Amino acid sequence: MHLSTSIWVWVAAFFTLAIFSFLYKDNPFYKFAESVFVGSSAAFAFLNLWFFDVKPKLWDPIASGNILAVIVPLILSILMLTRFIPQIKWLSRWAIAFAVGMGAGLGIVGMLNGYLVPQLKGTFLPLWVSGDLATTVNNWFLVFGTVFTITYFYFSKPIKGKFGAAAKVGIVFIMVAFGASFGYTIMARVSLLIGRIYFLLHSWLGLI
Amino acid sequence: MKREIPLLISFIAGTLIVISLFVPHPPFNKMEETLNSWYIIVSGFTFILGIDSLLLYNWDKIRRKSKDWPFALTVILSFVVTLVWGIVSGVRTGHIFSTNSTFRNYFYLYIYVPLQATMFAILSFFIASAAYRAFRARSLNATLLLITASIIMLGRVPLGNAVLIPVLWIAVLLIAWVVLLEIKATTSASTRVGYILMLILMVVIAVPLTKFLYGNLSAATDWIMDIPQMAAKRGIMLGLALGGIAVSLRIILGIERSYMS
Repeated sequence: MHLSTSIWVWVAAFFTLAIFSFLYKDNPFYKFAESVFVGSSAAFAFLNLWFFDVKPKLWDPIASGNILAVIVPLILSILMLTRFIPQIKWLSRWAIAFAVGMGAGLGIVGMLNGYLVPQLKGTFLPLWVSGDLATTVNNWFLVFGTVFTITYFYFSKPIKGKFGAAAKVGIVFIMVAFGASFGYTIMARVSLLIGRIYFLLHSWLGLI
Repeated sequence: MKREIPLLISFIAGTLIVISLFVPHPPFNKMEETLNSWYIIVSGFTFILGIDSLLLYNWDKIRRKSKDWPFALTVILSFVVTLVWGIVSGVRTGHIFSTNSTFRNYFYLYIYVPLQATMFAILSFFIASAAYRAFRARSLNATLLLITASIIMLGRVPLGNAVLIPVLWIAVLLIAWVVLLEIKATTSASTRVGYILMLILMVVIAVPLTKFLYGNLSAATDWIMDIPQMAAKRGIMLGLALGGIAVSLRIILGIERSYMS
């Protein structure tokens, strides 16, 4: 056993154990670590935003005297902050409207380019591949699985009769997909858990 | 004017972005680039509103000395310390993630990463307890979820192949039990016949399936991920895309105005 002599490793071990202590029950150590996590995460996200987005795109042009290039986003950003002044709070709507409108426009572009067109393209598959039974079966699964899943989410018609039967097959596909996602989520969380236990046993206690 | 101008702004911004998708030539492509850059800056400032809300909420707790107020103070203090540390370190070294930045070398590696990783790691225990409740094979759907999740988990670890046969047979017995319960509960003769056929088919394919999976578990996991999982995911993604486009159009056309309240 070679206990770590680094104060920072001890700090990390303290926070790791403090959060693990929640598995026993809610306690002040966990609450402290949780509060530190909330506060520092907010500050960390703000710093990320500043150093990766606002500084290079807004601050650096202003600092180099090229204020005209960023005058519009600068005005909109200042308008956003008018939310803190009740008398002119309504002006912040202009900046919010810009962000929301852009988000909606990018949403349409993103949904078309990232989801709708590629997924439709991927679903238009041949239902008979000569000399390749495996691909044929897989294509049937892909095409009809997609159609049946969409059928399940079609709420403009009562789900009964033949339509209901298709929706029931759709549920089978959805359950398989949820099961697969669930399995993957558990694997990801367990690998994080292994990472933390390895840190405690290796970096902190020096047992392995 | 208080309502019309914001509606006009959101209409113009949204429409220009959509036009640039269909006309990727000057001036629209350049315009899209500029608007995107403005969007990143302006939406960054919305984050300040969120931080204000977090700090005010905790400050209020401290002011009223409500239950657990020392932890509210911890939130504010850790926010301030992290922010000051990041700014000082960033200004000194040029960036918070420079290799010689104390913010990266101490705060990020020894405080933020352990906190975040452990917070997500303990979720594995809660997922296990949630799984116990959700996966109790009470219906065919829950059983399917259980079996798929088990195959995926087994297929991704070296131990998976060794424990495959007992796990698979337990799964087959579970399904058979659930199907028998469903046969007993159903009143429709055709559904009953359907279930009986399914049961026979399952028993017939169980042995060759076990033989096939043994040694091919990784390939089977890949098949589940690439074919049935992908089919359902595609259906969901197509629905999501259509819904997203509809909501975005409502916003651009000014039908959806809740953001102005």
